[in-house]
Amino acid sequence: MKEKLKSLLQKLFGDSVRAFGVVSLVFLFSLAIAPAKNHFSEWRHYQHGYLKMIRNRSDAVTLQRHFEGGIQQIWLPDLGVVDRCMSCHVGLKEASLNDVPTQPFRPHPVIPHKLDQFGCTICHRGQGAATTVAEAHNSTLAWEQPILPAKYIESSCGECHRGPLPGAPQLNQGRHLLSRYGCVHCHMVKLPDGKIMKATDDPPSLSHIGDKTTREWIYAWLKDPQAYAGTATMPNFKLSDDDARDMSAFLIANSTPLPGDTATLSAKASSDPSAGASLYGESFCASCHAVQNAAGNVVGGDVGPELTRVGNKVKPEWLQAWLRNPRDYDEETAMPHYRYNDAQVATLSGFLLAKTDSDLLANVHLEAATPEQIARGKRLVSDYGCASCHEIGGIKKPENFAPELSRIGNKPVTQLVFLPGMQHTLPDYIAAKIKQPRLFGQALKMPQYSFTPAQIDSLATALLALNDRAATLPPSLTVAATPESDYQPAGKAGKLMTDLACFSCHRINGHGGDMAPDLTWEGSSVQRQWLVGFLKNPNTLRPSLIRRMPRFNLTDGEANELTDYIMTVYQSPSVDRDSMPLSGYPQGEVELGKQLFYGKYACQGCHIVDTKSDKGYIGPTLTQVGSRLTAAWIFAWMKNPQALRPGTGEPNRAMSDEDARALTAFLISQKGGGKSEVAKK
Amino acid sequence: MAKTVDQYFDDLRATRVWRSVFRSGTGSSTLKRALAIQQNVFLHLFSTKVRSRMLSFSATWYLGTLTLGTFFILVATGIPLMLYYHPSAPQAYADTKDLQFVVSSGMFLRNLHRWSAHCMVFLVFAHMFKVFYRGAYRHPREFNWVIGVILLLMTLLLSYTGYLLPWDQLAYWAITVGSNIASAVPIMGNKIRFLMLGGNAVNANALLRFYVLHCMILPLAAMFFVAIHFWRIRKDGGLYSHASEPATVRAKASPAVTAKEAQ
Repeated sequence: MKEKLKSLLQKLFGDSVRAFGVVSLVFLFSLAIAPAKNHFSEWRHYQHGYLKMIRNRSDAVTLQRHFEGGIQQIWLPDLGVVDRCMSCHVGLKEASLNDVPTQPFRPHPVIPHKLDQFGCTICHRGQGAATTVAEAHNSTLAWEQPILPAKYIESSCGECHRGPLPGAPQLNQGRHLLSRYGCVHCHMVKLPDGKIMKATDDPPSLSHIGDKTTREWIYAWLKDPQAYAGTATMPNFKLSDDDARDMSAFLIANSTPLPGDTATLSAKASSDPSAGASLYGESFCASCHAVQNAAGNVVGGDVGPELTRVGNKVKPEWLQAWLRNPRDYDEETAMPHYRYNDAQVATLSGFLLAKTDSDLLANVHLEAATPEQIARGKRLVSDYGCASCHEIGGIKKPENFAPELSRIGNKPVTQLVFLPGMQHTLPDYIAAKIKQPRLFGQALKMPQYSFTPAQIDSLATALLALNDRAATLPPSLTVAATPESDYQPAGKAGKLMTDLACFSCHRINGHGGDMAPDLTWEGSSVQRQWLVGFLKNPNTLRPSLIRRMPRFNLTDGEANELTDYIMTVYQSPSVDRDSMPLSGYPQGEVELGKQLFYGKYACQGCHIVDTKSDKGYIGPTLTQVGSRLTAAWIFAWMKNPQALRPGTGEPNRAMSDEDARALTAFLISQKGGGKSEVAKK
Repeated sequence: MAKTVDQYFDDLRATRVWRSVFRSGTGSSTLKRALAIQQNVFLHLFSTKVRSRMLSFSATWYLGTLTLGTFFILVATGIPLMLYYHPSAPQAYADTKDLQFVVSSGMFLRNLHRWSAHCMVFLVFAHMFKVFYRGAYRHPREFNWVIGVILLLMTLLLSYTGYLLPWDQLAYWAITVGSNIASAVPIMGNKIRFLMLGGNAVNANALLRFYVLHCMILPLAAMFFVAIHFWRIRKDGGLYSHASEPATVRAKASPAVTAKEAQ
């Protein structure tokens, strides 16, 4: 063996010429590795694969013509983007490759943006400059951001689109949930446009909680809010029995009474369930409040709290005071002040108090609280940051109670502590943290929410959109959110509108809810007489809707006051309601309008004018439209509905003035016979 | 009779063009060969005569030559790297990424430069240890030792300035730490750091400064000192070998060995 080795060495390095030759050859081969590696690079491999794949296709010639070899890149200097993804994903723009089952040759789905203008990594993240699969897709030593999993892709829309975006429901929902579930009470979120994200969950003040409910209910609620109401916004803090006992003791001890709430029952709660149910229905309580029905489904709106077991919660005297005027207890409440009379209050409170669950408080037995327990309860209330959401007398709202999330989408993975066995990526971390926060440490204060997996994904989507790119985007590329105005109507009418909580459902001048129509230009749109009648006794305008405006039992004075204000203030600059008469159109024009309605424009597809023959139920019923709307508004609406109400379902038919005028004449003639509201009055 | 390869070379050397370039002329006499070294602007730095024993591996381990070799590789790879690199804060890191992803054999170029740089630092140290432990720094070579120390500093500075150029986190923090060390100099520490970085923290100015130092000033300075270094080898009596020392020097250095040789 040794001999053999020796002779081999002799052969190779025996004299200087041999040695030089051998070393040179070795050197040459090792130098050849670099160009060889370059030649056999991954992107070349994929391009060869692509050419081979298209060779046998029927559209080979076209595809071949579109194909460009070599490294392909999209360069966007404004965004600092150099994306070379198309070096391997060769067929991105070839719609005809739709049948290709696997990447990298599938075409890109149709999206509203051009690939050449936005590149790939703006939405998908990853390392655009890379030309190898591993470097481009994964997180590596020199690159933090891996490819974004497809289920979070809408987060990238949110980098530029700061407001709700029709094509990105998950993002919209995530943003909505961040506000709706009060995440932003504890976590500050400074939006890329500099505004602080506001919560919309409206947690109740606890300063007078003793008027409203019992210590037993507070205890049960603290232990498990979802046991009381499945839809409860409040999360589960996983409190021990002792903690819940002491916190409830403190909250009751800390509560100060309000005079109205503790007054003796002015009306005995009636126990007529059918009258209660019908008043509940007539008042459209279900537009805002949900109730679990016999089948276990929760039915109703989510503006107010679920009422399935409300009888376990509220004290009767408080409930009656609340129904009489909720603003006495909570000035800011979204609930309107229904002008119920005593009999109605009795009926409705009786109906609500009967909604109980005998199991809920069955096992709650609390002994009188000791001062130590109350003191400990106060400490716990501070520790858990209850005052971040709730107003609690004597406890200040903590600042920066939880980590700020303004740039959470760029949090380096190296700064995260992962659970054993989980993927080391930011989206996975965020989702896991929302799903079960306490898994990351028993001492963590973040409570347990009961989000569905879809809600968790949408929250993660919204959070991932809060990143450096969003914060540093050139202003020309951002699509700003319509800012929520803090519009408040003035004067007596303004007070009345606040009292009736009009803004809980209606939007005016960019402020308010979206449950009911935008009233910004209502004064140009409707006739005075109709409005007075409607406010006194609202009827359903759209047959397809179950909900309608509730009846607030307004006095004549209040209805007139409101109508005057609306007619005077809420006018469109582009529609002068007096520019066209409400009657007196020539019969020929009315007839022409009728023909256009049923013929050329086929309006009966969505609207009803003749209740006997028309079947349209998508748009408002028009049988009485001539008593409701002004002619000028109808005309302007025919010409361009979107200009008057952006986003309306009414199509823009690009009508001529003659057609629009004829239709207006026809519609304004629909006075609803003797059955109009005005006539009724 | 067919000509041998040597004869072809001889014919080439006899041509007019060759003669116009190389003044020493043909012929393999000792004089001619000595002239060939002496009259060449580059080679005249070296000794005209070297003992063949000194060319064996064991005499020097070729450490100086290898250091020079890595320096040549660094120059040869550094120049094409300069073609792909902008010393500007927004572009520098992207350029190193481009070397990796789109420049043909760019990664090879960069890695060759990087590893040669590491090698050079290692070889410089090895060279100095060898010189030190062999005692080759002694009279009359003290000055060349000092030049060697200067060259060590040059090498370290080249290495240090090159470290910032990729403009990644490693570079940034390495230079931040390094410049903080410099600022520990008494009294004028902060001034030194300010001068080094062109500011109080590692920034775009520092990148530009380090680039100019790395690609211009330090390589030229190193070449200058390398020239002196080689020239002094000749002036100080050629490559050091213990046996070539005068007996008196040898006796001073190691009496036992000299006594043995004298027998």
